[in-house]
Amino acid sequence: MNASSNPQSVNIVMIEDDEGHARLIEKNIRRAGILNEIRHFTDGTTALDYLFNAADGPQRNGPALVLLDLNLPDMSGTDILARIKGSDGPVRRTPVVVLTTTDDKVEIQRCYDLGANVYITKPVNYESFAQAIRQLGLFLSVIQVPDLDDGR
Amino acid sequence: MLLIAGAMARSPTLFVSPRESPIGKRLTTLMSIGFLALVAAGIAAAWMTQRNQVHARWVEHTYRVENAIIDLRRLIEEGETTRRGYLLAPDVPLLRTAYEATARDLPVRLSALDALVADNALQRRNVVELDAQIGPIAAARAQSIALVDAGRVVEARDLFHTETASRRMMAVRRTMNRMIAIERTLLAQRDAELRDAVHAFYVMLALTGVLLVVVALISLAAVLTYTRDLGRSRDTLNELNANLEAIVADRTADLTRANEEIQRFAYIVSHDLRSPLVNVMGFTAELEASTQQLAQLVDRAEQEAPHLVSEDARLAAREDLPEAIGFIRTSTQKMDRLINAILMLSRQGRRVLSPERLDLVALVENIRDAMTHRLTEADAEIVIEQPMPDVVSDRFSLDQILSNLVDNAVKYLKPGVPGRITVRGRRQASRIIIEVADNGRGIDPRDHSRVFDLFRRSGTQDRPGEGIGLATVRALVFRLGGHIEVSSTLGEGATFRLTLPLSLEPQDRSE
Repeated sequence: MNASSNPQSVNIVMIEDDEGHARLIEKNIRRAGILNEIRHFTDGTTALDYLFNAADGPQRNGPALVLLDLNLPDMSGTDILARIKGSDGPVRRTPVVVLTTTDDKVEIQRCYDLGANVYITKPVNYESFAQAIRQLGLFLSVIQVPDLDDGR
Repeated sequence: MLLIAGAMARSPTLFVSPRESPIGKRLTTLMSIGFLALVAAGIAAAWMTQRNQVHARWVEHTYRVENAIIDLRRLIEEGETTRRGYLLAPDVPLLRTAYEATARDLPVRLSALDALVADNALQRRNVVELDAQIGPIAAARAQSIALVDAGRVVEARDLFHTETASRRMMAVRRTMNRMIAIERTLLAQRDAELRDAVHAFYVMLALTGVLLVVVALISLAAVLTYTRDLGRSRDTLNELNANLEAIVADRTADLTRANEEIQRFAYIVSHDLRSPLVNVMGFTAELEASTQQLAQLVDRAEQEAPHLVSEDARLAAREDLPEAIGFIRTSTQKMDRLINAILMLSRQGRRVLSPERLDLVALVENIRDAMTHRLTEADAEIVIEQPMPDVVSDRFSLDQILSNLVDNAVKYLKPGVPGRITVRGRRQASRIIIEVADNGRGIDPRDHSRVFDLFRRSGTQDRPGEGIGLATVRALVFRLGGHIEVSSTLGEGATFRLTLPLSLEPQDRSE
């Protein structure tokens, strides 16, 4: 995110099937002052296609950060997580923030086991939700995303 | 459940043994017949013995008659012999005395014979005839003896030659033979009678024997049939039991499946309901923020260009919008709490129970310690009546149940009365009864079953809550294989009575 130290801007890949959630997340991230491009996908297939095959996707070009919802219409978010963390390309090093409604302990454990970097439960209470997203935005603004060249 | 009830209602008719009384009656009848046959055999034996005795007496009688006749005959012959000897040798006095003895004895013997045959008219006639025949012989003998005594031996011998003694003797012998023959015939008749009697006895014995054997066979057959029937009904019963178990197992599996389905359904529904709710709440917040902007705009417009602001616009910005947003907010918040409750319930339903030995006293003490602060605040105390039996159950569930009950008791105290909450437990057969009693405000009896329903509450709604606690308690108690009931009158406290199995079977249900 640090545009000054990293000339390539970091894309935020948001995989979220609920348009409303996506909008709220985007709004609150913007409110936190994050201006990076947010690519929004509503299903797993196109999201994976972008991650692995797109010209400006994280596999081929540019660092990225994934915001992942677990409840998707076509596949489970954990499958996407497994695909990302199980691949042997640079995508593997992409930080994944799981942002979902599920607060099931088993699910949380599984996500971390699969290599999720952060797991955040969407609070149903909107104030908490907005605050969580804003804090996430602040968090995003300070974390370091691995340089793609390191993997090559 | 209806199907199970149906099966239960149908089966009892098959458990009744319809043969119990008829077999008893039949066996009694058969045994009576056998007993009567034995009695008949005994009577026959007695009758036979008596017949034998009578017969023996008659046989003896016959032989005595025969003996008497033979004796008489011997006497007559002896008399003749001695007379002849005396005629030939008058000088032998021995012959004379011998003759006299026989002559003296003869009438005695004859009358003895007469006495013996007194019962038989025919024989008596024969005796009379014999008497008539013997009379002349005796007279002739007496005459010849008298002649010899008088020394007229020659005259006596002449008389002997002329007399018809031998012919008379022949007649006497004939009569005697006839008498003996008659006695023999009588004996033969009596023998035949005895043989008939013996025959009848044997026939009767044989009949009785046959009857007994038949009775025994019928009884045996009856007992065998009965035993076989018993065996058959036992088999049927076993089969029914097995079927019943299978039916129950089937139904239980169905119920479990249905229950799991409901749990899953509740979980999915409540989970998926949260997503749209986030949107509703989120955009309501956005709307609220926008409304504030709008209100500020209206305020400014009112100050700077009042003619632009209509009454409707002012009302909308200042009252209608904030009111609508407020209602949306409180409703969504409530909905959120309800969804969370359902989610929690369904999650508890999916939890795998792990039974372990629990010290109830320690468990309740923990609960008490955890709420010390609240207890002081509410001026209440928890009394744990010791000892309480140990129980093998799921720690988490039981802790939740008791926590909820104690929590409720503390929550609904009677204002102004120091709270006293008593927890006690006792064993009853293979179950444990735990009671949580308080002196709080109590529950209206009309609401006793309602309070366990989800989202239902009783009494004055002056305490926070959604009506979830007791629903959770009941769901947990059911899962632990127990049941819960409440007894209470309004204003006099409530007692929640919890019945649980002493030992919970471990289950291997995966989530």
